[in-house]
Amino acid sequence: MINALGIVTSSNGRYHVAGLEDYRPIGAFSFLGRYRIVDFPVSNLSNSNIDQIQVYVSQNPRSLAEHLGGGQQYNINSKRGKLQLLFNQDSRVNEIYNTDVAAYMDNIGILERNHMDYVVITPGNMIFKQDYQKLLQAHVDSGADVTLLYHKVSNAKVHYRSTAILQLNRQKGVKSIARNDGTQDNRNIFMDTYVMKRELFIRLIRDAAKTSSIYNLADILNIRSEELDIRGYQHREDYLAAVYDFTSYYQANLDLLDFQKASALFSPQWPIYTKTTDSCPVQYVEGSRVTDSMIANGCLVEGTVEHSVIGRGVKIEKGAVVKNCVILGHSVIGKDVYLENQVVDKWAKVLHVGELVAPADRPGYVRREDVL
Amino acid sequence: MKQEMVAMILAGGRGSRLKDLTSRVAKPAVSFGGKYRIIDFPLSNCANSGIDVVGVLTQYESVLLGSYVAGGRSWGLDTRGGGVYVLPPREKADSDLDVYRGTADAITQNIDFIDSYDPDYILVLSGDHIYKMNYSDMLQAHKKAGADATIAVIGVPKKEASRFGIMNTDETGRITEFEEKPANPKSNLASMGIYIFTWKKLRALLVKDKTDAASQHDFGKNIIPTMLKAGSKLIAYQFRGYWKDVGTIDSLWEANMDLLGHRNELNLADGSWIIYSEDAVEMPQFIGQDAKINVAYITQGCRVNGEVDHSVLFTNTLVRGKAKIVDTVLMPDTVVDEDAVVTRALVAPGVHIGKGAKVGRKDSSSILLVAHDVREGETL
Repeated sequence: MINALGIVTSSNGRYHVAGLEDYRPIGAFSFLGRYRIVDFPVSNLSNSNIDQIQVYVSQNPRSLAEHLGGGQQYNINSKRGKLQLLFNQDSRVNEIYNTDVAAYMDNIGILERNHMDYVVITPGNMIFKQDYQKLLQAHVDSGADVTLLYHKVSNAKVHYRSTAILQLNRQKGVKSIARNDGTQDNRNIFMDTYVMKRELFIRLIRDAAKTSSIYNLADILNIRSEELDIRGYQHREDYLAAVYDFTSYYQANLDLLDFQKASALFSPQWPIYTKTTDSCPVQYVEGSRVTDSMIANGCLVEGTVEHSVIGRGVKIEKGAVVKNCVILGHSVIGKDVYLENQVVDKWAKVLHVGELVAPADRPGYVRREDVL
Repeated sequence: MKQEMVAMILAGGRGSRLKDLTSRVAKPAVSFGGKYRIIDFPLSNCANSGIDVVGVLTQYESVLLGSYVAGGRSWGLDTRGGGVYVLPPREKADSDLDVYRGTADAITQNIDFIDSYDPDYILVLSGDHIYKMNYSDMLQAHKKAGADATIAVIGVPKKEASRFGIMNTDETGRITEFEEKPANPKSNLASMGIYIFTWKKLRALLVKDKTDAASQHDFGKNIIPTMLKAGSKLIAYQFRGYWKDVGTIDSLWEANMDLLGHRNELNLADGSWIIYSEDAVEMPQFIGQDAKINVAYITQGCRVNGEVDHSVLFTNTLVRGKAKIVDTVLMPDTVVDEDAVVTRALVAPGVHIGKGAKVGRKDSSSILLVAHDVREGETL
């Protein structure tokens, strides 16, 4: 086992998810009914025997802090291990200052005092499965200074817009980290996941901060790419979802209604941990009709649900139809309401509108705690 | 650390009327209601009633039960000074290893444990009932009456009263007589097997009972009658709400079926009195393209692509396409293959029902317990 410190980054304004992000950072988004996105990176780290984990939070920390708590649910050693929330102050003057390097510099003392040899840095807005011990071993075996995790895709013209891509040479050496400009379908999507020695990491962020106040870690790697040995490591699992805008959030949820995909992500040997709410099983009453959906515990279903993801404690009343929707926890879909292609945020009540229908490629959004 | 009241759950019984369901686990560890185990109910009631120390008296097949309750974190009973303690019979400096010879003896053998908390009161519970109850309200009644013992009772239909231990009371609620399964019951107040004792009083009685060769060391048969004879003050505390003894396959099945009623009396969705349980890491339930669900109680980790009608599905069950589940309880990790039909059955954990099998009958007089795999095409 290779010892490493796990770092889960916040997206620091690099991505924007309209609506949902007004209330919480992407890592705290509800996912697939019972999870929050941050459960995936933290469970990956925990399952990889990495039990010192830092989660960075900038804006609206409440929901993330509440969800992560002391980290007991992630099965990390309660003495040796530690799940730590690290806060940083975002600039209100200009968001170009809100870099990952600025967040690390705000907490540099903690990074320096840590005893781990390596760091694994992984983002709070992507959903995938990865054994980091394998990645660390490959990194050590290759002798590289930095290893970056990427996923090969063939749909980058339409998807993964504004995420980063890797340009690689034949030996998997990283030539550059660039932005996906949507001009080519075949791309190596950079999973914003880095492995390197902790000492090098600290040197690089100090270097970046000194060079420019608006540099990210990826920027300084681009600049130092000549003198550093930076390699790409291909993510071999089938499933990757990146949440970088509203539609990608919606799609990432509905994609997992393909049971093959879901089984690839959830395996008994690789549990995804989350905070329990001790809600009771789902109650289906006379007249309910449900197909092709994932339903979290605590729901009451009296109406019809098709191809949708339903969060905990949701109530779907008699005659209501929910089609191609993502309904977040504790919402109420009232009697005879028809919803299609919608994301309904937590605690919302859709009662007085006959129907809400949006085009499939531009789903609608109902705000948190709204009554419609 | 001193506790006002310590709870002791009698969880030693095998529950042999549950047949193969308890061949490997003790009755309190039997699954219930999709995601729970029977013992979650008394443990959650304790947690919600503000009781911090709970002793679980185990004897029969206690390994799984012991590891399940140990630590008590699932019920929030892991506060400093508090906790859930598994108490099998022990060898002590002044006595050899023994079994618990009766319900009262189980408490007697743990007087040292109870004394270490110096409690004023002790709550004795059984581990085989499904109900939600605030024990602190019962303690208030016990204190207000200045009772030596308070016994929780529930009104049962008169014609069924002869199946229970019946308490006859005067107009103030004081118990005047206790009759075990009377042929001609004088009242309909059945004992729920829930007792609060003033510890000093009970302790003295237990010490005396220990050496009484004629005693069966049982609360119902010995301790309560002795107290009545001695003129101790015994009070009936009337409980109103859902309460079910799940000691037989039929009653366990029935209690599960009771959950199908929308707005059922037990109301496990009530956020003010949550029944806590072990956390499962399975993904949410997945209802497939061909599924047909009509009146069901289904929990996390299930995968349904067949037809489910008036049934309760426990954690991680798999109902494949064109399978049909009617009036049935599927316990954790069961698998029902294509075209199989399961009717009026209780399927034990992990059982696999093969393709096209026919299990149970709509008009059966009692519920079929399916404890072993059923082969493809087989009729049971």
